[in-house]
Amino acid sequence: MTRYIKTAVILFLICAICTALCALVNEVTAPVIAANTENDRLSALSDVAAGLEIGEQVDVGDGTVNYYIPLSDGGGIKGYIVELSASGYGGAMTVIASYGDDGSLMQAKLTANSETPGLGKKAEDPGYMDMFIGLGADEPLPASKSDLSAEDNAAVSGASVTFGGISSALISGSDFVKGLGGAV
Amino acid sequence: MSHIKELTKGIFKENPTFIIMLGMCPTLGVSTQVSNAIGMGVSVIFVLTCSNIFISLLRKVIPDSVRIPCYIVIIASFVTIVEMVLHAFVPSVYEALGVYLPLIVVNCIILGRAEAFAGKNGVLDSALDGIGMGIGFTLSLSLIALIREVFGAGTITLFPVGSFSGVISIPGLSESPVRVLTLASGALLLMGYLKAFFQWKTSRSRGGEA
Repeated sequence: MTRYIKTAVILFLICAICTALCALVNEVTAPVIAANTENDRLSALSDVAAGLEIGEQVDVGDGTVNYYIPLSDGGGIKGYIVELSASGYGGAMTVIASYGDDGSLMQAKLTANSETPGLGKKAEDPGYMDMFIGLGADEPLPASKSDLSAEDNAAVSGASVTFGGISSALISGSDFVKGLGGAV
Repeated sequence: MSHIKELTKGIFKENPTFIIMLGMCPTLGVSTQVSNAIGMGVSVIFVLTCSNIFISLLRKVIPDSVRIPCYIVIIASFVTIVEMVLHAFVPSVYEALGVYLPLIVVNCIILGRAEAFAGKNGVLDSALDGIGMGIGFTLSLSLIALIREVFGAGTITLFPVGSFSGVISIPGLSESPVRVLTLASGALLLMGYLKAFFQWKTSRSRGGEA
């Protein structure tokens, strides 16, 4: 019996010391992590805002659309920023996109992702989203590689899963914005 | 002299990746970029050294019947610390390492060295063993990542310093890379060639000794 109690006490002490050590490090790193996350989010929002005024965030969380933020020019609403969850080759991806109130894509940026360097990771390049910009209202966003021009098709070659994930998320975002119909 | 041996054995003679063949999952998973390999390697050196020291210090206190849970708790704590520090101060490496970072907890190299060495040897030797094995793992991982990134993407990704973006583009290769090397199949193929090379080197040196 004494042997079991001694073993349990030793295990408890080791766990307690380890927990205290982790808590100490968390105390130092947690505020830095929170500040970094907020800075990244603000930087991505300002990149896609196209110079418009960024409003208050409205949470959605429907699986694809995480939240939206109205964009205005001081007067009426001119569009929305939407954070979208997408699925890529390396797992979950996050896309932040801005749309006009008619659902046309203004800007988009791939943020969190684990795509393959040299292939899917190219979606982070500044020019990658050009193939989607301006589409989504009168002209539909490309749903598959066959909807792309020969040049764009070659650009996404070898990273079809990444392209599919991003295009599907952007289409969902466009439909969501059309559903808002210019209302907050 | 034996202390030096403990430090150097992990680099070539008992290299965890090419000789003992431990830690294959993160080796294949994160060796897509040199910066990821260095980040993972440094994390493993830290966890391996700290856990070896702690386990060696507590080896006479930890009852044999609960030694594995104790080792796991100690290793998991150091992995959590590394995870929090990387997330706060090197977020790009933290994101790139993804799921492989928490998986260091079950990395065979760490638990293998705890069970085979730190649980039976003194603190100094255990620390040197951890550093040596960690350096051996880092060098192997960096070598695989360098070959995969240079030929598979035509770049060498290091860490940004001042005006240097951290990415060195290799003319010729960056326009038409051997893309299969960036995929998991390419990693396995390369691993096979490197293992064959190390096997050949080992058998040659054994032949020389005989």
